Amino acid sequence: MFPSWPMRFHHTPRGSSKSGEESTDSGSAVHALSSRGEGSRLELESPVGRKASSSSDHHQMIDQMHHLQIPQQLEVASASNSPRTGISQPQLARPTSEKRRGAGSNSERMLDAKTLRRLAQNREAAKKSRLRKKAYVQQLESSRIRLSQLEQDLQRARSQGFFMGGGGGAGGNISSGAAIFDMEYARWLEDDHKHMTEIRTALQAHLSDGDLRVILDGYITHYDEIFRLKGVAAKSDVFHLITGMWTTPAERCFLWMGGFRPSELVKMLTAQLDPLTEQQVMGIYNLQRSTEQAEGALSQGLEQLQQSLTDTIASGSVNDSMHHMAVALGKLTNLEGFVRQADNLRQQTLHQLHRVLTVRQAARCFLVIGEYYGRLRALSSLWASRPRETFIGDDILCQATTDLQMVQQSSQNHFSNF
Amino acid sequence: MHYQAESYGNYYASTVRQSAAVDPLERVVRLASGSAVVIFSLSTCCMCHAVKRLFCGMGVNPTVYELDLVPRGKEIERALMRVLGGGSSVPVVFVGGKLVGAMDRVMASHINGTLVPLLKEAGALWL
Repeated sequence: MFPSWPMRFHHTPRGSSKSGEESTDSGSAVHALSSRGEGSRLELESPVGRKASSSSDHHQMIDQMHHLQIPQQLEVASASNSPRTGISQPQLARPTSEKRRGAGSNSERMLDAKTLRRLAQNREAAKKSRLRKKAYVQQLESSRIRLSQLEQDLQRARSQGFFMGGGGGAGGNISSGAAIFDMEYARWLEDDHKHMTEIRTALQAHLSDGDLRVILDGYITHYDEIFRLKGVAAKSDVFHLITGMWTTPAERCFLWMGGFRPSELVKMLTAQLDPLTEQQVMGIYNLQRSTEQAEGALSQGLEQLQQSLTDTIASGSVNDSMHHMAVALGKLTNLEGFVRQADNLRQQTLHQLHRVLTVRQAARCFLVIGEYYGRLRALSSLWASRPRETFIGDDILCQATTDLQMVQQSSQNHFSNF
Repeated sequence: MHYQAESYGNYYASTVRQSAAVDPLERVVRLASGSAVVIFSLSTCCMCHAVKRLFCGMGVNPTVYELDLVPRGKEIERALMRVLGGGSSVPVVFVGGKLVGAMDRVMASHINGTLVPLLKEAGALWL
């Protein structure tokens, strides 16, 4: 069954001398071993019997026995890569020994160390590549999930676009940058709802300030994210932002430079935020003033831009109209800068609120902000679905009722907190 | 599109000295330390107009250098762009000789309450 066995074990003590012949024998033995399950068992028996004689071999033997239980995948793997330096049956520690000639037992032990190290390195490398593969697969998985999410959002945005009464928003009038932003904004709104629920629960559960701070920081980061997204969208389609086609009609009514007006937000909050310390009152008052000043400055800058644009478009004869168009185009690019600065102002306002107020007050403050805009959005849907003389459909009434419930629910929460 | 000189308080564009420092950044530093509030601007830039309005609205009298009207202003413009590391060179604001930054930094410092103390310290604001 194992014709080469007795021969092989006979040569092992002098491992280095007959390496040439051994390699071929070992080669076949490897395959013989891996194909047979009893291989390891038999190995255990033979070497002990053979090598009881020499003490130095005794060490080798023990090494071998330790290596016996190493999965033979290693053997097979190395065997497939480099058959010559492949493992000789249980002597996994011996690939280099096959190449050496006439080495004493001391150097054999040193070789052991070297090959041991190399094997360890191989194991490390294999482990690293396994980990890398795992990370890559995980990345693919998460990308797949994100892709399916995006597809869902796209479908939802399409269906919503028809309902929200957006004139230019539905259908094919929308640019790709705008469409992408609309989807991201829809998802942001859902996340917003989750964050708000989290804060509400945290406040009612009277969590510690530390825990509340963590939740609040998460909410601030959430707001930072929408400003970042708006920045990206401003590059591709600033008109979409500045005309407010990404918002609901009622929000659009209050639109200032592509978003909410910070000073109006602060004014609204002042009434909702009692009680405040005197220092906080000063802080909020200063915030109101500084936002008003900044808004005024930006508005005047934008007016200047519009005036300049008007002059360019109105002037010029038929001959150099193209030139004037080019100049006008150049001026239009400044629009992006104004929307960015306006968003910067909004972001700074929210951060300053976070700084001026205590954790608890800030949590309530952000809850108020979220609820306010939620109600404004609900108002938009109610308005769009308000009963008109011509017809009242069941579906419209349903929508109106759910919207009403939403408004009522949020006002209940509002009063429960304040 | 034309900014009237008299509407922005001090307007030293014509009195910029042409002597001394050749290095544009040195010129910037020298000009910046010359007044309490210094704005480097372009007469055609609308964002510069906004920042000027911001300071005037606060009751501050900034010194404005229109780099398209100042001799060798292009050098200064290029130097500022390198300093800011961004796409645009103007507007850039210095208060009390120290750099505040471009429009976003100016607005951020106004909202977070650091601009007004800086102005008071530089003697540009009295209250």
